[in-house]
Amino acid sequence: MKFAIALFAPPHAPSSRRALRFAQAALAGGHEIVRLFFYQDGVHSAASNPVCPQDELDLSAEWREFVREQGLDAVVCIAAALRRGVLDAQEAARHQRTAVNLQAPWELSGLGQLHEATQLADRLICFGGP
Amino acid sequence: MATLHVLSHSPFSDSRLSSCLRLLGPDDGLLLCGDAVYALQPGSAQCLALELMPASIGLFALEEDLGARGLNVPERLQVVDYPGFVELSCRFAKVNSWL
Amino acid sequence: MPQSLLIISRQAPWAGPSAREALDIALAGGAFDLPLAMLFLDDGVFQLLPGQQPATVQQKDLTANLQALPMFGVEALYVAERSLQERGLQAHPLNLQAQVLDDSALTALLDRYDQVITL
Repeated sequence: MKFAIALFAPPHAPSSRRALRFAQAALAGGHEIVRLFFYQDGVHSAASNPVCPQDELDLSAEWREFVREQGLDAVVCIAAALRRGVLDAQEAARHQRTAVNLQAPWELSGLGQLHEATQLADRLICFGGP
Repeated sequence: MATLHVLSHSPFSDSRLSSCLRLLGPDDGLLLCGDAVYALQPGSAQCLALELMPASIGLFALEEDLGARGLNVPERLQVVDYPGFVELSCRFAKVNSWL
Repeated sequence: MPQSLLIISRQAPWAGPSAREALDIALAGGAFDLPLAMLFLDDGVFQLLPGQQPATVQQKDLTANLQALPMFGVEALYVAERSLQERGLQAHPLNLQAQVLDDSALTALLDRYDQVITL
Protein backbone atom coordinates (compact mmCIF):
# COMPACT_ATOMS: atom_id res chain seq x y z
CA MET A 1 0.00 0.00 0.00
CA LYS A 2 1.00 3.59 -0.58
CA PHE A 3 0.50 5.80 2.46
CA ALA A 4 0.24 9.55 2.78
CA ILE A 5 0.83 10.47 6.43
CA ALA A 6 -0.25 13.86 7.74
CA LEU A 7 0.81 15.09 11.18
CA PHE A 8 -0.99 17.87 12.98
CA ALA A 9 0.73 17.76 16.39
CA PRO A 10 3.98 19.06 17.91
CA PRO A 11 6.82 16.75 19.02
CA HIS A 12 5.76 16.64 22.67
CA ALA A 13 2.30 15.32 21.72
CA PRO A 14 1.95 11.53 21.99
CA SER A 15 0.38 11.53 18.54
CA SER A 16 3.62 12.77 16.97
CA ARG A 17 5.50 9.77 18.35
CA ARG A 18 2.58 7.52 17.34
CA ALA A 19 2.78 8.86 13.77
CA LEU A 20 6.50 8.10 13.64
CA ARG A 21 6.05 4.56 15.00
CA PHE A 22 3.25 3.99 12.48
CA ALA A 23 5.43 5.28 9.64
CA GLN A 24 8.29 3.03 10.74
CA ALA A 25 5.97 0.02 10.92
CA ALA A 26 4.54 0.82 7.49
CA LEU A 27 7.99 0.77 5.88
CA ALA A 28 9.04 -2.31 7.87
CA GLY A 29 5.90 -4.01 6.55
CA GLY A 30 6.98 -3.39 2.97
CA HIS A 31 4.63 -0.46 2.31
CA GLU A 32 5.54 2.86 0.74
CA ILE A 33 5.18 6.37 2.15
CA VAL A 34 4.50 8.75 -0.73
CA ARG A 35 4.79 11.84 1.44
CA LEU A 36 4.82 13.09 5.00
CA PHE A 37 2.85 16.33 5.32
CA PHE A 38 3.12 18.39 8.48
CA TYR A 39 0.25 20.83 9.05
CA GLN A 40 -1.12 22.91 11.95
CA ASP A 41 1.04 22.34 15.05
CA GLY A 42 2.69 19.46 13.21
CA VAL A 43 5.10 22.04 11.79
CA HIS A 44 6.76 22.06 15.22
CA SER A 45 7.57 18.36 14.82
CA ALA A 46 9.86 19.38 11.95
CA ALA A 47 11.53 22.28 13.73
CA SER A 48 15.22 21.92 14.48
CA ASN A 49 15.39 23.89 17.72
CA PRO A 50 13.81 21.77 20.48
CA VAL A 51 16.38 20.91 23.14
CA CYS A 52 15.60 17.74 25.05
CA PRO A 53 17.05 16.54 28.34
CA GLN A 54 19.38 13.58 27.81
CA ASP A 55 17.02 11.15 29.49
CA GLU A 56 14.00 12.15 27.40
CA LEU A 57 12.81 11.17 23.96
CA ASP A 58 14.09 13.60 21.32
CA LEU A 59 11.30 13.13 18.84
CA SER A 60 12.33 15.99 16.54
CA ALA A 61 15.70 14.31 16.11
CA GLU A 62 14.06 10.90 15.54
CA TRP A 63 11.80 12.32 12.84
CA ARG A 64 14.76 13.97 11.16
CA GLU A 65 16.84 10.78 11.19
CA PHE A 66 13.92 8.71 9.94
CA VAL A 67 13.24 11.05 7.02
CA ARG A 68 16.95 11.19 6.11
CA GLU A 69 17.61 7.46 6.40
CA GLN A 70 14.55 6.52 4.38
CA GLY A 71 14.88 9.34 1.86
CA LEU A 72 11.27 10.37 2.37
CA ASP A 73 9.47 13.33 0.85
CA ALA A 74 8.83 15.43 3.96
CA VAL A 75 6.80 18.59 3.48
CA VAL A 76 5.90 21.27 6.00
CA CYS A 77 2.96 23.53 5.11
CA ILE A 78 4.39 27.00 4.58
CA ALA A 79 1.31 28.94 5.74
CA ALA A 80 1.02 26.91 8.96
CA ALA A 81 4.76 27.17 9.54
CA LEU A 82 5.02 30.92 9.10
CA ARG A 83 2.07 31.52 11.40
CA ARG A 84 3.80 29.42 14.07
CA GLY A 85 7.29 30.86 13.61
CA VAL A 86 8.86 27.86 11.93
CA LEU A 87 11.04 29.32 9.22
CA ASP A 88 13.72 28.06 6.89
CA ALA A 89 16.63 30.30 5.88
CA GLN A 90 14.81 31.72 2.87
CA GLU A 91 11.66 32.66 4.78
CA ALA A 92 13.65 34.04 7.71
CA ALA A 93 15.50 36.33 5.30
CA ARG A 94 12.32 37.25 3.45
CA HIS A 95 10.50 38.22 6.64
CA GLN A 96 13.58 39.56 8.42
CA ARG A 97 13.48 37.13 11.28
CA THR A 98 16.62 36.26 13.23
CA ALA A 99 15.95 32.55 13.80
CA VAL A 100 16.16 29.76 11.27
CA ASN A 101 14.56 26.68 12.75
CA LEU A 102 13.61 24.57 9.75
CA GLN A 103 16.28 22.76 7.81
CA ALA A 104 16.81 19.83 5.49
CA PRO A 105 15.44 17.24 5.07
CA TRP A 106 12.24 19.28 5.51
CA GLU A 107 10.82 21.45 2.75
CA LEU A 108 8.24 24.20 2.98
CA SER A 109 5.40 23.99 0.51
CA GLY A 110 1.67 24.49 0.12
CA LEU A 111 -1.49 22.53 0.82
CA GLY A 112 -1.45 21.39 -2.79
CA GLN A 113 1.23 18.90 -1.70
CA LEU A 114 -1.20 17.38 0.82
CA HIS A 115 -3.84 17.03 -1.86
CA GLU A 116 -1.38 15.56 -4.34
CA ALA A 117 -0.20 13.05 -1.74
CA THR A 118 -3.81 12.11 -0.98
CA GLN A 119 -4.38 11.46 -4.68
CA LEU A 120 -1.19 9.40 -5.08
CA ALA A 121 -1.71 7.28 -1.99
CA ASP A 122 -3.98 4.33 -1.32
CA ARG A 123 -4.47 5.50 2.26
CA LEU A 124 -4.32 8.88 3.97
CA ILE A 125 -3.62 8.60 7.70
CA CYS A 126 -3.75 11.68 9.92
CA PHE A 127 -2.24 11.97 13.37
CA GLY A 128 -2.90 14.77 15.82
CA GLY A 129 -4.24 15.71 19.20
CA PRO A 130 -2.97 13.84 22.26
CA MET B 1 -16.57 1.57 2.21
CA ALA B 2 -15.78 0.66 5.80
CA THR B 3 -13.93 3.24 7.83
CA LEU B 4 -11.46 2.76 10.67
CA HIS B 5 -12.09 5.55 13.16
CA VAL B 6 -9.12 6.46 15.36
CA LEU B 7 -9.55 8.24 18.68
CA SER B 8 -6.86 9.49 21.04
CA HIS B 9 -8.67 11.86 23.43
CA SER B 10 -9.95 10.79 26.83
CA PRO B 11 -13.72 10.35 26.48
CA PHE B 12 -14.32 11.81 29.93
CA SER B 13 -13.24 15.30 28.97
CA ASP B 14 -14.16 15.29 25.33
CA SER B 15 -17.09 14.64 22.97
CA ARG B 16 -15.23 12.89 20.16
CA LEU B 17 -16.15 9.36 21.27
CA SER B 18 -19.86 10.10 21.55
CA SER B 19 -19.90 11.92 18.20
CA CYS B 20 -18.00 9.04 16.62
CA LEU B 21 -20.34 6.39 18.02
CA ARG B 22 -23.29 8.13 16.33
CA LEU B 23 -21.59 8.06 12.93
CA LEU B 24 -20.34 4.48 12.92
CA GLY B 25 -21.42 2.31 10.03
CA PRO B 26 -22.17 -1.37 10.64
CA ASP B 27 -18.83 -2.55 9.17
CA ASP B 28 -16.66 0.22 10.58
CA GLY B 29 -13.88 -0.21 13.09
CA LEU B 30 -12.86 1.84 16.11
CA LEU B 31 -9.23 2.02 17.21
CA LEU B 32 -8.50 3.51 20.62
CA CYS B 33 -5.06 4.91 21.22
CA GLY B 34 -3.52 7.41 23.60
CA ASP B 35 -5.96 8.56 26.29
CA ALA B 36 -8.93 7.19 24.33
CA VAL B 37 -8.14 3.78 25.87
CA TYR B 38 -9.56 5.17 29.11
CA ALA B 39 -12.93 4.51 27.43
CA LEU B 40 -12.28 0.88 28.40
CA GLN B 41 -12.32 1.72 32.08
CA PRO B 42 -14.65 -0.92 33.55
CA GLY B 43 -17.80 0.41 35.14
CA SER B 44 -17.83 3.57 33.05
CA ALA B 45 -20.69 4.59 30.78
CA GLN B 46 -18.15 4.88 27.98
CA CYS B 47 -17.06 1.27 28.40
CA LEU B 48 -20.66 0.15 28.41
CA ALA B 49 -21.34 2.12 25.22
CA LEU B 50 -18.42 0.35 23.54
CA GLU B 51 -19.62 -3.06 24.67
CA LEU B 52 -23.10 -2.31 23.33
CA MET B 53 -21.88 -1.50 19.82
CA PRO B 54 -23.09 -4.06 17.26
CA ALA B 55 -20.80 -7.09 17.09
CA SER B 56 -20.04 -6.28 13.45
CA ILE B 57 -18.08 -3.19 14.51
CA GLY B 58 -14.46 -3.99 15.17
CA LEU B 59 -13.08 -2.62 18.46
CA PHE B 60 -9.32 -2.27 18.66
CA ALA B 61 -6.82 -0.69 21.03
CA LEU B 62 -3.13 0.06 20.76
CA GLU B 63 -1.19 -2.32 23.00
CA GLU B 64 1.35 0.18 24.29
CA ASP B 65 -1.35 2.57 25.49
CA LEU B 66 -3.20 -0.18 27.38
CA GLY B 67 0.03 -1.31 29.00
CA ALA B 68 1.11 2.20 29.94
CA ARG B 69 -2.18 2.75 31.73
CA GLY B 70 -2.54 -0.68 33.29
CA LEU B 71 -5.98 -1.25 31.82
CA ASN B 72 -7.82 -4.52 31.48
CA VAL B 73 -9.79 -5.08 28.33
CA PRO B 74 -13.23 -6.39 27.46
CA GLU B 75 -13.41 -9.66 25.56
CA ARG B 76 -14.47 -8.21 22.26
CA LEU B 77 -11.47 -5.92 22.10
CA GLN B 78 -8.60 -6.79 19.79
CA VAL B 79 -5.25 -5.49 20.96
CA VAL B 80 -2.91 -4.35 18.19
CA ASP B 81 0.70 -3.30 17.98
CA TYR B 82 2.03 -0.92 15.32
CA PRO B 83 2.29 -3.57 12.59
CA GLY B 84 -1.31 -4.45 13.51
CA PHE B 85 -2.28 -0.77 13.25
CA VAL B 86 -0.76 -0.68 9.76
CA GLU B 87 -2.62 -3.85 8.84
CA LEU B 88 -5.91 -2.34 10.06
CA SER B 89 -5.35 0.74 7.94
CA CYS B 90 -5.00 -1.54 4.93
CA ARG B 91 -7.97 -3.69 5.86
CA PHE B 92 -10.39 -0.80 6.14
CA ALA B 93 -11.04 1.31 3.06
CA LYS B 94 -10.11 4.53 4.79
CA VAL B 95 -8.97 5.90 8.14
CA ASN B 96 -10.73 8.75 9.96
CA SER B 97 -8.65 10.13 12.80
CA TRP B 98 -10.63 12.35 15.16
CA LEU B 99 -7.89 14.95 15.55
CA MET C 1 -10.49 9.18 -11.51
CA PRO C 2 -9.51 11.43 -8.58
CA GLN C 3 -10.13 10.26 -5.05
CA SER C 4 -12.84 12.17 -3.21
CA LEU C 5 -12.14 13.82 0.12
CA LEU C 6 -14.53 14.71 2.94
CA ILE C 7 -13.33 17.39 5.34
CA ILE C 8 -15.07 17.37 8.71
CA SER C 9 -14.74 20.64 10.61
CA ARG C 10 -15.54 20.25 14.32
CA GLN C 11 -14.13 23.35 15.94
CA ALA C 12 -15.81 26.63 16.79
CA PRO C 13 -14.63 29.53 14.60
CA TRP C 14 -12.05 31.00 16.95
CA ALA C 15 -10.97 28.04 19.07
CA GLY C 16 -7.51 28.53 17.63
CA PRO C 17 -6.70 28.22 13.94
CA SER C 18 -8.43 24.86 13.36
CA ALA C 19 -11.59 26.18 11.69
CA ARG C 20 -9.56 28.42 9.41
CA GLU C 21 -7.06 25.70 8.57
CA ALA C 22 -9.79 23.15 7.76
CA LEU C 23 -11.28 25.69 5.40
CA ASP C 24 -7.87 26.26 3.81
CA ILE C 25 -7.61 22.55 3.04
CA ALA C 26 -11.02 22.70 1.34
CA LEU C 27 -10.22 25.82 -0.67
CA ALA C 28 -6.85 24.44 -1.77
CA GLY C 29 -8.47 21.21 -2.92
CA GLY C 30 -11.19 23.11 -4.71
CA ALA C 31 -8.57 25.15 -6.53
CA PHE C 32 -7.17 21.87 -7.87
CA ASP C 33 -10.66 20.78 -8.98
CA LEU C 34 -10.71 17.81 -6.63
CA PRO C 35 -13.98 16.18 -5.59
CA LEU C 36 -14.43 17.55 -2.08
CA ALA C 37 -17.13 17.92 0.49
CA MET C 38 -17.22 19.69 3.79
CA LEU C 39 -19.21 18.70 6.87
CA PHE C 40 -19.73 20.94 9.87
CA LEU C 41 -20.07 18.80 12.99
CA ASP C 42 -20.14 19.44 16.76
CA ASP C 43 -18.86 22.96 17.54
CA GLY C 44 -18.06 23.38 13.84
CA VAL C 45 -21.70 24.41 13.32
CA PHE C 46 -20.93 27.64 15.18
CA GLN C 47 -18.89 28.70 12.16
CA LEU C 48 -22.15 29.05 10.24
CA LEU C 49 -23.96 31.53 12.49
CA PRO C 50 -24.72 34.87 10.88
CA GLY C 51 -24.15 38.11 12.72
CA GLN C 52 -20.76 37.25 14.18
CA GLN C 53 -18.32 40.08 14.83
CA PRO C 54 -14.85 38.56 15.02
CA ALA C 55 -13.18 41.93 14.81
CA THR C 56 -14.06 42.48 18.47
CA VAL C 57 -11.62 39.68 19.35
CA GLN C 58 -9.27 40.74 16.57
CA GLN C 59 -9.92 37.63 14.53
CA LYS C 60 -10.65 37.27 10.83
CA ASP C 61 -14.17 36.71 9.69
CA LEU C 62 -14.41 33.24 8.14
CA THR C 63 -17.76 33.97 6.50
CA ALA C 64 -16.31 35.29 3.24
CA ASN C 65 -14.04 32.25 2.93
CA LEU C 66 -16.92 29.91 3.75
CA GLN C 67 -19.12 31.52 1.18
CA ALA C 68 -16.30 31.23 -1.36
CA LEU C 69 -16.40 27.43 -1.15
CA PRO C 70 -18.86 26.98 -4.04
CA MET C 71 -16.80 29.38 -6.18
CA PHE C 72 -13.84 27.07 -5.58
CA GLY C 73 -15.92 24.12 -6.69
CA VAL C 74 -16.73 22.85 -3.20
CA GLU C 75 -20.49 22.71 -3.44
CA ALA C 76 -21.13 19.62 -1.34
CA LEU C 77 -21.63 21.29 2.03
CA TYR C 78 -23.26 19.56 4.96
CA VAL C 79 -24.15 20.30 8.54
CA ALA C 80 -25.04 17.80 11.28
CA GLU C 81 -28.61 18.10 12.47
CA ARG C 82 -27.84 16.71 15.91
CA SER C 83 -25.03 19.23 16.41
CA LEU C 84 -27.46 22.04 15.56
CA GLN C 85 -30.10 20.65 17.92
CA GLU C 86 -27.65 20.20 20.78
CA ARG C 87 -26.79 23.87 20.45
CA GLY C 88 -30.37 25.12 20.05
CA LEU C 89 -29.70 26.07 16.43
CA GLN C 90 -32.10 23.81 14.58
CA ALA C 91 -34.34 26.67 13.44
CA HIS C 92 -31.57 29.22 13.14
CA PRO C 93 -30.66 30.66 9.74
CA LEU C 94 -27.15 29.75 8.65
CA ASN C 95 -24.80 31.87 6.61
CA LEU C 96 -24.03 29.01 4.24
CA GLN C 97 -26.19 26.89 1.97
CA ALA C 98 -25.56 23.50 3.54
CA GLN C 99 -27.63 20.35 3.60
CA VAL C 100 -28.71 19.31 7.09
CA LEU C 101 -28.10 15.61 7.74
CA ASP C 102 -29.31 13.33 10.52
CA ASP C 103 -27.09 10.63 12.02
CA SER C 104 -27.90 7.91 9.50
CA ALA C 105 -27.38 10.31 6.60
CA LEU C 106 -24.01 11.25 8.14
CA THR C 107 -23.01 7.59 8.26
CA ALA C 108 -23.97 7.27 4.60
CA LEU C 109 -22.05 10.47 3.76
CA LEU C 110 -18.88 9.20 5.37
CA ASP C 111 -19.25 5.93 3.55
CA ARG C 112 -19.33 7.63 0.12
CA TYR C 113 -15.94 9.33 0.33
CA ASP C 114 -12.56 7.80 -0.49
CA GLN C 115 -10.64 9.77 2.15
CA VAL C 116 -11.54 11.87 5.15
CA ILE C 117 -9.83 14.50 7.31
CA THR C 118 -11.49 15.42 10.61
CA LEU C 119 -10.16 18.60 12.22
